[in-house]
Amino acid sequence: MTRYGGLGRTRPKKLTSKASIPIVREEEIDALDEDVQNHQQIETGVEKAEESEFHLQVAINLTAQGKVNDAHIPTPETILSNLRYDELYPPLFSQPATYIRSSATVEDCCGCPYNMTEEDDVFLKILNQKRGASSPCSEDNFEATMNFFEETAKAKQPFAAVDNPPVLSFEEMEEAMDSTVEEAVKHFAKHIYPHWKSRRTAEGNNSLEPSLKFETGQDTDDSDPYVCFRRREVRQIRKTRGRDAQSAEKLRRLRKELEDARQMVALVRQREVARKEMLSMERTLFLQRAEVKEMKRKLNIKDDDEDLINQKPKKKLEIPPGQRPSVPQLRLPLKGGINGAEDLQLLEDVQAEKENEILRDIKANITKHIKWNEGYVDHTRAPLSPPPERTFDAAAFRPAFTAQLPTPPSSESSGDMDTIDVTSPLFSRDKLASRAMEMHDEPHRMPSFRRRVGRGGRLMIDRRNFAARCKLEMDPVKADRFKFDQEDSDEEPVHEIDGYSIQIMQHRAITMAKAREQAAVAAQAHAQAQAQAVQAQAQQRRLQGDQSGNPGAPPAPSVVTASSEA
Amino acid sequence: MGVRDSHGEATGTPDPVEKGFATLNTVRIGVKAMVQKDGELRKAEILSIRQRKDGPSFYVHYVDFNKRLDAREVREEKTGAANKAAPSKNVQKRPRADSREVSGTPDALGGKNVNVDKSHRPSKAGGKENIEVQTPGDASLFPSEAASAAETPKGDSEDVDMTDAQELKEDEVKTASGEVISRGEEIERLRTSGSMTQNPTEIHRVRNLTRLQMGKYDIEPWYFSPYPDAFSDVDLVYIDEFCLSYFDNQRAFERHRAKCTLVHPPGNEIYRDDNISFFEVDGRRQRTWCRNLCLLSKLFLDHKTLYYDVDPFMFYCMCTRDETGCHLVGYFSKEKDSAEGYNLACILTLPQYQRRGFGRLLISFSYELSKRENKLGSPEKPLSDLGLLGYRQYWRETLVELLIEPGREAMSENELAVLTAMTEKDVHETLVVFNMLRYHKGNWVIVLTDYAVSEHNKRLEKEKVKGARRIDPARLQWKPPVFTASSRTWNW
Repeated sequence: MTRYGGLGRTRPKKLTSKASIPIVREEEIDALDEDVQNHQQIETGVEKAEESEFHLQVAINLTAQGKVNDAHIPTPETILSNLRYDELYPPLFSQPATYIRSSATVEDCCGCPYNMTEEDDVFLKILNQKRGASSPCSEDNFEATMNFFEETAKAKQPFAAVDNPPVLSFEEMEEAMDSTVEEAVKHFAKHIYPHWKSRRTAEGNNSLEPSLKFETGQDTDDSDPYVCFRRREVRQIRKTRGRDAQSAEKLRRLRKELEDARQMVALVRQREVARKEMLSMERTLFLQRAEVKEMKRKLNIKDDDEDLINQKPKKKLEIPPGQRPSVPQLRLPLKGGINGAEDLQLLEDVQAEKENEILRDIKANITKHIKWNEGYVDHTRAPLSPPPERTFDAAAFRPAFTAQLPTPPSSESSGDMDTIDVTSPLFSRDKLASRAMEMHDEPHRMPSFRRRVGRGGRLMIDRRNFAARCKLEMDPVKADRFKFDQEDSDEEPVHEIDGYSIQIMQHRAITMAKAREQAAVAAQAHAQAQAQAVQAQAQQRRLQGDQSGNPGAPPAPSVVTASSEA
Repeated sequence: MGVRDSHGEATGTPDPVEKGFATLNTVRIGVKAMVQKDGELRKAEILSIRQRKDGPSFYVHYVDFNKRLDAREVREEKTGAANKAAPSKNVQKRPRADSREVSGTPDALGGKNVNVDKSHRPSKAGGKENIEVQTPGDASLFPSEAASAAETPKGDSEDVDMTDAQELKEDEVKTASGEVISRGEEIERLRTSGSMTQNPTEIHRVRNLTRLQMGKYDIEPWYFSPYPDAFSDVDLVYIDEFCLSYFDNQRAFERHRAKCTLVHPPGNEIYRDDNISFFEVDGRRQRTWCRNLCLLSKLFLDHKTLYYDVDPFMFYCMCTRDETGCHLVGYFSKEKDSAEGYNLACILTLPQYQRRGFGRLLISFSYELSKRENKLGSPEKPLSDLGLLGYRQYWRETLVELLIEPGREAMSENELAVLTAMTEKDVHETLVVFNMLRYHKGNWVIVLTDYAVSEHNKRLEKEKVKGARRIDPARLQWKPPVFTASSRTWNW
């Protein structure tokens, strides 16, 4: 600072990183008006103690003088090896067209981690001479066995480096042989063990493969330059009860999941073992059959050879029934549905079947009741089984059915029904109505009446099979109370008519008959409601219609027609 | 002593310095002596002594030379250079025990860095103060103890202890290289020296592997690396070129080669051009491979620390390809999450591939990754000598390339930084170091020096002949890896 002042110059402007600096060629500026230049000390970033190193200083100075290519730091030499490279590194690599992606680890790629030494070679040679040519121990098997010893020792004596235990005995080795250990290892273990033990003893019971030094938790770790790759301290997380519970829960779950996985693997193993057994059984069976065949040929026995094949056809017969139930079920409807819209047809069929079943049930129940009540007369209101009214002259009764017609007949052929939207309330009602009628086909079940002349010339109409109105919705006693309380009567114009006119009575009878029918249908609907949610809804809507006596509802017109025709 | 303090070693006690002459037999570890090197005498510190049948052999560090030039000098060689006929007691070597560093205090190590030796070797820097004028040719022998005097302000007993320990080391050479000693010997040592710590800091100042076999090459290691300590006894250590596993036994190595199926670094290829491929390897997922890589690279990187595990690093490995596989040429490691904004932690071109421009490609690739991350980056410090030269060259060439583009009138340091992914500090310092930032007539200017321009042209011509060796960003198939908070908390 003082220098600039002393020279009568201004201090150089501060240079910010955002400031745009003009770029010039060297010849464009005057040479050296500077002692301002290069007074900044630039850190090299090299360790202080090494900055002064001879070769580096030479190189830096040369660079400063612009002789970069002469800057050379000597390094120890590298020479071509006399290793048989081509043998050890076979040319097997072919480059894929896309970039390589790989996650295999060194352990995945290196096979057995134990590698034989010359010492092992000598031992193995002697061992194989002893064993003879029949069952020599291969190098791979030898290594696998040695590796097994090493791994077992590591697992059983994890602190061998610290507490110096004796070399693991063969008995302990045998204990460690579980099902995961290869057969060959089990087979050769006792022959190779003495060799392993002697080598291990010579090494002071250290691992035979030289290994890195890791932390042992001792104080000497820190200063030992051979100890490497220490674990990093994990940042401490604040401890709370919630977190404790959380981790406990996590551990529990982890344990359970591991346990499950273990069990699964065990079961898979069991299955595979069973399968293996089965295969070997089959094989012996086959071999023995082959023998039988041989013998048969030799002894010239001629029969139908059943004993050579009998097992298998039986098995084949046995297995399919297990599978069959599901398959034919799927196929039957397919046969029913001719073509197209098969799924829809199937649904219809199922529904029809269910309906039929319900109807059948109801019929059966009714007949049962009739049977029970045989010889009795049920005088209760709304009897389950109608009382036997055979005492009357049935022929004298005229069925009220004659004039009744199903609603719009042309559009509702049974054939069309299948294609109609099932959920439509209109549809289900009519459909059920037609069915209900079928049910009451027998004339004596129909609402019917007769006219007779009583004493004193009184004219009387007898009716039968009339159900009470609204019998389902209300307690009959209660219904009685509201007998004359019908609201709908307000809506309809009141006609002055002769209550005893036959015409009127006829009309009334028909109306009543219709109501009864509807009630019967409603009973069915209730039974169906459990099976068919959609239909139940439809039924409900209709029942509501009945209660309010809405004359606009489809059944009403039919009554009207009937009465007008009558 | 001042130098010492500048190293941050606040001992407060002056070095105990012995001066004088020593015979071969009185030479101890830590003694500095003049040793023949390439026809001239250089001051060297003796780091280890091995007893052989024909006498001791010395492992010496030449003061002011990089450690990679440290060498094991056999006595005959040393004497032979000057005076072959000299009797063993009367050698050319005139060991002078100046500024012997007492480094028997393991607590000085702190816990953190393996490479504590830097702070333990102030003698090198401070040597000038301590050097006593050497009288060459003078063969008279003074026992070093004679001059040792009472210059040591430390307590006598302590000094004696030190001496004992060092003498013991002389007798049982192998302890210096960390060999296990028998229990009896251990007890004996406990009894005589009272300390079991055998100057642990000295161990890793001595190169522990003699020679390395890797791929088609035999390589001389440069520095200590914590391979299994048994490896220091063998002449040749075999490294598998692909999985980087290490063997001290040829037969075992050959058996391993028969089984090993790895033909490329165990990760995803993220870059491929006509010459090279880059693989990205996750330290956590490929722990073994990355550990092997670090052990190997420690042989050539003085300031690399293997104190902690490799989990928090990604390794970007550059390979050349042929029909045997993808051969590792060099690599750089990068922290998954660098608090200081470093875009590179360690960088190495294997010695067998050095001086062919691979280092430049590695550096260039590290900046390409930074560009993808939209970050500015800088290499972690300290740099090695070779690292410094490599980076400075790359920085200069990269900046000149931008500045020389036609139509460029002016640029700010920030613009340069954004375009190159270098930090503004690196940009600025590079311009200053190469004298390109000048103050001219009251204004700052960037000067494209004649030298810079001619270097640039030379490079262009060279590229015309040999083909451009550059990283093509279009061939980089890479997205910055993302690590979840939990994986960072628990797993690295």
